[in-house]
Amino acid sequence: MDMPAKPQSKDLSSLFTEATKRRRSSPLKTLLKYMNADPTLVSLGAGLPHPDTFPFISVTATVGEAGKSAVDTSAQHQDVTIAARAPTAATEGLERFLQYGNGRGVASYAKFAQEHTERVHAPLYDDWDVVVSAGNTDAFVKALMLFCQSGDTLIVDEWTYPAIIETVGPMNIGLAPVEMDNEGIVPKALDSLCENWSKSNSGRCPRVAYMIPTAQNPTGATMSVQRKQAIYEVAQKHDLVIIEDDPYYYLQFGEYKAAVDSGEAVAAGGRYDDLPGVTGLIPSLLSMDTDGRVIRLDSFSKILAPGLRCGWVTAPKYMTDKIQFHNETSVQQPAGLSQAIASKLINEHWGHEGWERHLVQIQRDYAMRRDRFVELCQKYLKGKVSFTVPSAGMFLWFRVLLREDVQERPGVMQEVFDSMIENHVLLVPGHFFSPLGATPEVLSKPFVRAAYSYASIDDFETAISRLAEALAPFTC
Amino acid sequence: MSPNVTLPDASTPLPMAKDLSELFVPSMRGQLKSAFKSVMGNPTLAMINMAGGVPHPSTFPIMQLRATVRSPSSPSAPLNRESTLELAKASRSQSTESLDELLQYGDGCGIDSYCAFLRRYTQRVHRPRYADWGVIASCGNTDAIGKAVSLFCEPGDSILVDRWTFPGALSSLVSAKVLPAPVPMDGEGMIPEALDNICQTWSGSAPPRAVYLVPTGQNPTGTTMSLVRRKAIYAVAQKRNLAIIEDDPYYFLQLPPVPSPSISRRGAERSDQAQHLVPSLLSLDVDGRVIRLDSFSKILAPNLRCGWITAPTYILDKIQILNESTILQPSGLSQGLISKLLNDTWGFDGWEAHLRELRAVYTLRRNLFIQAVDKHLAGLVEYTVPTAGMFLWMKVNLGSAAADPTAMPRLLGSMKKCGVMMAPDMPFSSTGPSASLEPATDGTSERYLRAAFALVDIDMFEPALKRLAQAITSVSGARSETSCSPVTSPDVVRSDTAHLDVNNSTF
Repeated sequence: MDMPAKPQSKDLSSLFTEATKRRRSSPLKTLLKYMNADPTLVSLGAGLPHPDTFPFISVTATVGEAGKSAVDTSAQHQDVTIAARAPTAATEGLERFLQYGNGRGVASYAKFAQEHTERVHAPLYDDWDVVVSAGNTDAFVKALMLFCQSGDTLIVDEWTYPAIIETVGPMNIGLAPVEMDNEGIVPKALDSLCENWSKSNSGRCPRVAYMIPTAQNPTGATMSVQRKQAIYEVAQKHDLVIIEDDPYYYLQFGEYKAAVDSGEAVAAGGRYDDLPGVTGLIPSLLSMDTDGRVIRLDSFSKILAPGLRCGWVTAPKYMTDKIQFHNETSVQQPAGLSQAIASKLINEHWGHEGWERHLVQIQRDYAMRRDRFVELCQKYLKGKVSFTVPSAGMFLWFRVLLREDVQERPGVMQEVFDSMIENHVLLVPGHFFSPLGATPEVLSKPFVRAAYSYASIDDFETAISRLAEALAPFTC
Repeated sequence: MSPNVTLPDASTPLPMAKDLSELFVPSMRGQLKSAFKSVMGNPTLAMINMAGGVPHPSTFPIMQLRATVRSPSSPSAPLNRESTLELAKASRSQSTESLDELLQYGDGCGIDSYCAFLRRYTQRVHRPRYADWGVIASCGNTDAIGKAVSLFCEPGDSILVDRWTFPGALSSLVSAKVLPAPVPMDGEGMIPEALDNICQTWSGSAPPRAVYLVPTGQNPTGTTMSLVRRKAIYAVAQKRNLAIIEDDPYYFLQLPPVPSPSISRRGAERSDQAQHLVPSLLSLDVDGRVIRLDSFSKILAPNLRCGWITAPTYILDKIQILNESTILQPSGLSQGLISKLLNDTWGFDGWEAHLRELRAVYTLRRNLFIQAVDKHLAGLVEYTVPTAGMFLWMKVNLGSAAADPTAMPRLLGSMKKCGVMMAPDMPFSSTGPSASLEPATDGTSERYLRAAFALVDIDMFEPALKRLAQAITSVSGARSETSCSPVTSPDVVRSDTAHLDVNNSTF
């Protein structure tokens, strides 16, 4: 069937900063016309070390079975080997992964990101593209710097990822927080911020909104498809660029169903048969982006491992080109070993189908954690906290239901935090996530973030009963 | 997990680094907060940590990592031999962390065992002369240059650089709107008197606060500063209160002088045995004004994307924060393999044996290349023999065409026709718009080519330089038009470079 031709992205390059406009391809690109594919040309041009000096002969990662837990003793492990001078049809040889390259990464790795994006997000405009990143923290700065410079303002959620706050401060980029509800950023609030900007502010109207649409850090809020559409419409109305930071996208696992007994018992009961995999996920902002105004950041951190420092960015090609050039004056590209293992594992060993089974397994792991955690919160923390049950990710955002007589006491949330420490349970105080900084008003907001991703499930009950004790002096 | 601090040896108490934080740009002066620390907490053993928003390691699918490496020869094992190193998912192996630790989020300092090796090695090689120095992981010198520069320069500021320098650094400066202030060079690199003079006569609003240089095997000129030169540069930096960004990726590729008249392959290998490396600027640094950038790119492999920075800890604290808002740290796989290889498999002795073997490889290449240049390009080029690195910088004798602005593009066209390519001078120029191949605006008509002798097949040296001779003579007017001998049939040409895109990182 012939598909109708997709439109081109809208050209937003007039919104680029001066530095972005200056960011260009290497001056040595001018040499390309002298270095065409002539196979007889001897090039003494490139300042590369000789691959024979690389001492690595082969690298082998033993990997688990896609779809089985790492602790499952029935899992069949397999060896993923990348050997020097031994490229295959799908992946490069080790020496290629270890040599200098450009800011686009190694071809087979970049190809997977491209194919995966087409499969999962099927972008609606023609000139979309992916470029490799060294994870979303690095990718965020690069996306931000396309459009924002000193003196500009970035729109963010009312509560957001602390690395964003710490990053923009020294860059002298301001933050404009927008009200959230249990589905994340509120479209009407975003609209009125933009609408009223010039009335209440002297600076340029913000051009970029940063959001984490799935399992938002710290609130755990996940946007519904309707919410995303509404946000996208506001972005169109005000010509905003959206940075869609979505590292928890594949950690969607659906609604909480009251548990029968413990996490293990429900796991055995087929309760996790309807996990979304990659086909049942809430559509991304990218997937509804007709204009090319979404810069989507994907990361392997939560779905393979953070230490790989590997991800990718999807955006119109004229933007990914700029990010490529930025890569070439900073990280160059993600580490070759990380790309090699991701590429070989997914392209050759798992394929898209095995990759999906792997993602379902991760969804199952975190679903069990969420379920057990929520179950215990309901058991121990009734009347002490309120929260929205997360349907994705790693975080639960508690509102502490402070007793009326302590609510107005200055520094009461610090007392709450000290009480947690005394009771040997560590959560993150809400003010760490405030774009406004530690103002007295922010410090008094009764929020704390719990991560159920890392602690041992066996410790959950102890942790939550300690939390209950810690909160007792301040709640009913 | 702060940058690794080496405490002064009790017998020889070292002074603390001078506080040069007044050289920082305003945004770097205050206390910056570590985002990593704010969400990780610092739990004691009894504490249950529900704070760290990190994935559970049971979701990491990598159970074990093995690498087979070619280990250097040693007295007990004279031939190159293979070693296998292993990292296990959940358990430490000797000095190196488990895979689960290597693959987890970490702070902006890097993996402990990786940094610990580099701290000990820095002590062994450079013996810093102040007490509060440390090392921090970087993902290579290109990234480290950008970060080091951003400590001292904001848009509109100037930074002192070599007249000819690394295009990656220049690109980074251009996009950061930091202006390169070129300092003249001679056969030993940056000229101290010229550096001093530029500072003395500076007429711009903000005098430069930092100098960026590549002291060893400089890219593109191949020059290496002698100890005397380094001391003189350091003295100017003290006098003018400059921070020095010492970008030194070729430090361990120092090559002995060319033996003459005849060069034998065995001779090249033997001559390295007793070679001493020229001391680094870091090793002369009594004040703590040198930020030294080291990289594994040329001594293990470039795309490990791993290096390290040595500086006073208060400066490294800033780099840590910059890391935490960008890369976090280099790939855990790269750091883990390097740590395992250097700490457990090779140790100092194996590592130094490996570096000696690398020097032998590049010494042989350099010697044969020079020999071929002398044979085929006599009278057509002038050069200083490089005593480090991978580059030969050749001043091209363009004869009557020298003053012609189209000579360089014509030379490159002619080289292409003859089947040889080298990097022209302009992308390395810090004096003007480096995008063009037009001559410099400083009035000189000197034109250069940079030959990289590290990668191409040794058997192609002679054919390549023969072709270059033909190309030069066809442009210099010695002959009326390009005439090339037939190019070699494709099957003898190695395809190592065929897939490579041209960009800053590959130059």
